[in-house]
Amino acid sequence: MENKSRRNFLKIASHALGGTLAAGIAVPVVGLAVHPWMKETIFGTEDFIAIGALEDFPVGRPKKITITSSKMDAWNVFDGLVMGSVWVVRTGDNSLQVLSVNCPHLGCGVDWGEDVKKFLCPCHEGVFDINGQKLSGPAPRNMYSYETKIENNTILLNYKRMV
Amino acid sequence: MNAIQKWFEDRTGIRTLIKFALDEPVHGGAKWSYIFGSGLIFLFILQAATGIVMASYYSPSATDAWGSVYYLQHKTSFGWFVRGIHHFGSSAMMILAIVHLFQVFIFGAYKKPRELNWISGVVLLMVIAFFGLTGYLLPWDQKGFWATQVATNIMGTLPVIGKYIKSIHLGGSDYGNFTITRFFTLHVFLLPITLISFLFAHLALFRKHGVTPYWKMSEETIHNRVDPFWPDQVFKDVVFAIGMYAALAGWVFWQGGAELQAPADPASNYLARPEWYFLFLFQLLKYCQGPFLIVGTVIVPALAIAFLFALPFIDRNPSKWPSKRIPFFCGVFSGLAGVVALTVLAMHHDSKDIHIIHQHEEAEIQAALAVKLAAKGIAPSGGLSIFENDPLILGKKVYESNCRVCHKVQGEGGDTGPDFTDFGSRGWVAGLLKNPKDTRYFKEPALMPPISLPDETLLDMSEFLLSQSGGLLNPNVERVAKGQDLVLKGNCVVCHAIGDKEQKKLGPNLTAYLSKGWLKEFIRNPTAPKFYGARNKMPQFDKLTDKEMDALIQYLFSLSKDRLIVSQRLEDVKERLICFWTTQHKDIDRFWRQILIKG
Repeated sequence: MENKSRRNFLKIASHALGGTLAAGIAVPVVGLAVHPWMKETIFGTEDFIAIGALEDFPVGRPKKITITSSKMDAWNVFDGLVMGSVWVVRTGDNSLQVLSVNCPHLGCGVDWGEDVKKFLCPCHEGVFDINGQKLSGPAPRNMYSYETKIENNTILLNYKRMV
Repeated sequence: MNAIQKWFEDRTGIRTLIKFALDEPVHGGAKWSYIFGSGLIFLFILQAATGIVMASYYSPSATDAWGSVYYLQHKTSFGWFVRGIHHFGSSAMMILAIVHLFQVFIFGAYKKPRELNWISGVVLLMVIAFFGLTGYLLPWDQKGFWATQVATNIMGTLPVIGKYIKSIHLGGSDYGNFTITRFFTLHVFLLPITLISFLFAHLALFRKHGVTPYWKMSEETIHNRVDPFWPDQVFKDVVFAIGMYAALAGWVFWQGGAELQAPADPASNYLARPEWYFLFLFQLLKYCQGPFLIVGTVIVPALAIAFLFALPFIDRNPSKWPSKRIPFFCGVFSGLAGVVALTVLAMHHDSKDIHIIHQHEEAEIQAALAVKLAAKGIAPSGGLSIFENDPLILGKKVYESNCRVCHKVQGEGGDTGPDFTDFGSRGWVAGLLKNPKDTRYFKEPALMPPISLPDETLLDMSEFLLSQSGGLLNPNVERVAKGQDLVLKGNCVVCHAIGDKEQKKLGPNLTAYLSKGWLKEFIRNPTAPKFYGARNKMPQFDKLTDKEMDALIQYLFSLSKDRLIVSQRLEDVKERLICFWTTQHKDIDRFWRQILIKG
């Protein structure tokens, strides 16, 4: 009888201690495994990327430019990487808009039709005006644009943030 | 048993299996002396759990390994702890395996019919050692890289097959990408498979033959006292496991995790030392030189292993009493004593060797610096690139290959030119003004006469001269004003131009004296009329690239504490300060290193 209650105690104690031990190991191991939930592991090193001076872009004529930046991929840093392209539309002396080259419909590359002064998507005939407003076609919305700012005559683009 | 459990049990028989696994009668009773074997299984599971999660961060290539371990160690929340547990866990496993071996030996548990149990155990011990060896290289840091060189060179000394064994491990004739992929394969695939297979055999044999109780226990007690494995023995095992984990975690915290040294540099001359459990072999090799090398690398270890394998067949006396096994006790314990003595000798030697002590300090500093530099990202060309990208390190290199022949820093270098200890500081410039003919400066040939003014006044002048470029740390406005007055209204301007950068006078132009621009022009062409003209003795260093020149100047600035500001950013200043200490003061005390490491 005494032995039985002693063994019952040992069973409960073993479970409790074993559980504590397992938890003590699981916390750091799982914590490490889910690190990408807590911290960005791949990211551009610059928030705002300089894409040129204001005067490089004539008013009313969209210009397609390539965005290069540096990227951190976990421990590695890659400089001068091509991130993609954008349409820069200078709308006034001090105002501009940077539009995504990808059509909001299915992501095809949108071209500027100089003769019609409109953005044209070659895939499904989407048409957008110079400000990226949808005119016709299957696209569900206007063209995506990026957050920009102008500092010391330099255009800075936040490539991470589409609006 | 509820319906779901029953359904599951009917189809899998899992309960029966668990019951079978746990329901082992322990003859003679559960004992604390039986905890070591299960302790090893626990440690192996712990190593597997930490190892698997670490593998998800690790990149086995010569260019990426260090960076990936750096990321794990310094950029994740638990990485340092998990790696610490894995690193010190391997030592714990080694210790426990040896304790287990001795417990088994003392209890006589290797005797008939348990010969194969013993032999599989010896194989497992060797597998554990090989785990340690292969794992040590994986971070691809200085320590692991050089220590493993020793081990693979030992492999190479095996007669006839040595070079083949070595090249199959290295994946070629030298260390490279294939060395790391091969060691990784061994460490995470082949060795675990081997260990699990032998462990399975070891356990199956153990279950077949049962425990070997204390030799004094009477046959009667062994027969009558039978404890169930669960929970009597399991409880003791769990207590031991939790105790070990707590001790291991405490140790990891106390040590601040496992060390990660600077990236492996094949061009450095690092004094390699293996992990502590191989030190005895390392020490043994010191006594086996020339043609006798093979005695230390092959013959002695082979004899020791052969003895362990053969032990159950040599000691055929069924009695488990130690008094009946005195020769074997003598043999095994003198072997242990030899290993301990060699280990102690090796450690003692290293603790007294000034080169080793210096190297440890240097390695610690390099490691801390590497961590600082790696924070900005590591170029895809590999871990070592972080050093080449640091201007101060590049600058020091440029200095050492071009300037050191003629200029001294902290007593090291030539005597021809001025001593650069504390170069460009307030005190250095004041000292120059005080007596240009001093052996620290231009010596006897100097044309400029000493200035007989009080030291404080000379410091005012120095403050003004250095403040021109804006590169002086915390300039004192009052002193600058006083100094300006003295310099511009005194005799200085008779020989020196100040204000017009291009003006030529007898002495060098002091406009923006010792600034980045001034130094750059000067170093490129000291013979220019605006500097020393025909009197110049210094060679022109016009072949240096812009990058090298900038780095050199940054290094020169770093020689004094007054000239730390290169960039105005506080962050940079802090970093410069740290670099200053690391490059200049090899013997900086513990305090500085702590600051450096904690960042």
